[in-house]
Amino acid sequence: MTLTEPETYIELGAPLTDTHDSVWQRLGQCGTWWSGKERVAAMAEVRQAFCCALCIERLEALSPMMIRGEHDSVSDLPREAVDLIHRLATDPGRLSKEWALLVIESIGEEPYVELATLVCVQYVIDSFARSLGLPLRELPEPQPGEPDRVRPEGVGDVGAWVSQTVEKSLANVSRAASLVPATEDLWRELVQAHYSRGPQFADLVWDRALSRPQVELLASTVSALNECFY
Amino acid sequence: MLRASSEALDSEVDLEQLEAGADVTHGELLVRYAESAVRQDSDLGKVRSGLEAQVGPGGVIEAAATVAAFEGLNRIADATGIQLDSGLADESADFRMLLGLDAYAGAASTEVAGVPTRAADVMGIFR
Repeated sequence: MTLTEPETYIELGAPLTDTHDSVWQRLGQCGTWWSGKERVAAMAEVRQAFCCALCIERLEALSPMMIRGEHDSVSDLPREAVDLIHRLATDPGRLSKEWALLVIESIGEEPYVELATLVCVQYVIDSFARSLGLPLRELPEPQPGEPDRVRPEGVGDVGAWVSQTVEKSLANVSRAASLVPATEDLWRELVQAHYSRGPQFADLVWDRALSRPQVELLASTVSALNECFY
Repeated sequence: MLRASSEALDSEVDLEQLEAGADVTHGELLVRYAESAVRQDSDLGKVRSGLEAQVGPGGVIEAAATVAAFEGLNRIADATGIQLDSGLADESADFRMLLGLDAYAGAASTEVAGVPTRAADVMGIFR
């Protein structure tokens, strides 16, 4: 029995869904390294990954690299980009530095980070809908424009697989996408709305519908299921 | 953060019993919901209703928002190979081995294991 109809969650969670509306449309805009058309194509690949035969077979394998083959792709994106999208969507806990460096060598460091960030942003919004039994959103309309391909200043090697801002003012995860500031803005906006909520993050006691230990228990469970070390 | 936030409420969590809810209020239901949502189990609607009966619709929305946020946060961490912050390495040093977290593939990204030490506050954990 459903106590609250899923559609009612949209009304009750209006501030969150308003953020989703805004972020979702901007995912279809031209990025710094990928065009709007390519970004929307990447979003289609995120959803396709869940019915990709190669991804399903790899999930069941002891190591994903033991299984060779082609992804069931729905776009003209480069093969390595499709591999990044599908693996990040379906099997994030078993990504390796060696694999990442091969993808970066092929598509470039900044395009790698922009694509990965885009996948993560979409994943949050899609996951929220699935978790509440809501239908997934239609993909946004691709917007015109040419990527300007400008690398930001102040980024470098801080010990991660990709360059990040060298200034450490917050948690490492909060600067993970700093190589692509425009797409990072979408990511930050979403995480703030879903979880950290600005200065509240520093408070150990939260006045929300769930207590902070309840929220952190959910967080720990998801991270354990995804085998995320961080 | 689970341990630190529980201590702030003068309660203790049992990190070894994470799957059973770690002694958090409605913890077992929250864990079942997170598992069902991440795996997209066929019983998700039923589990969600069970959770809602205890925490209300607002609590369910908060739970869904958290599950979704960490689905994304886990992925951005894994895709970029970030290291544990030094404070986080220290804070988690005493239970990472116990819970088998050091066996995760992402552990290879972090060079410093940390020394079991508790941070004074949230920002100290992420220093």
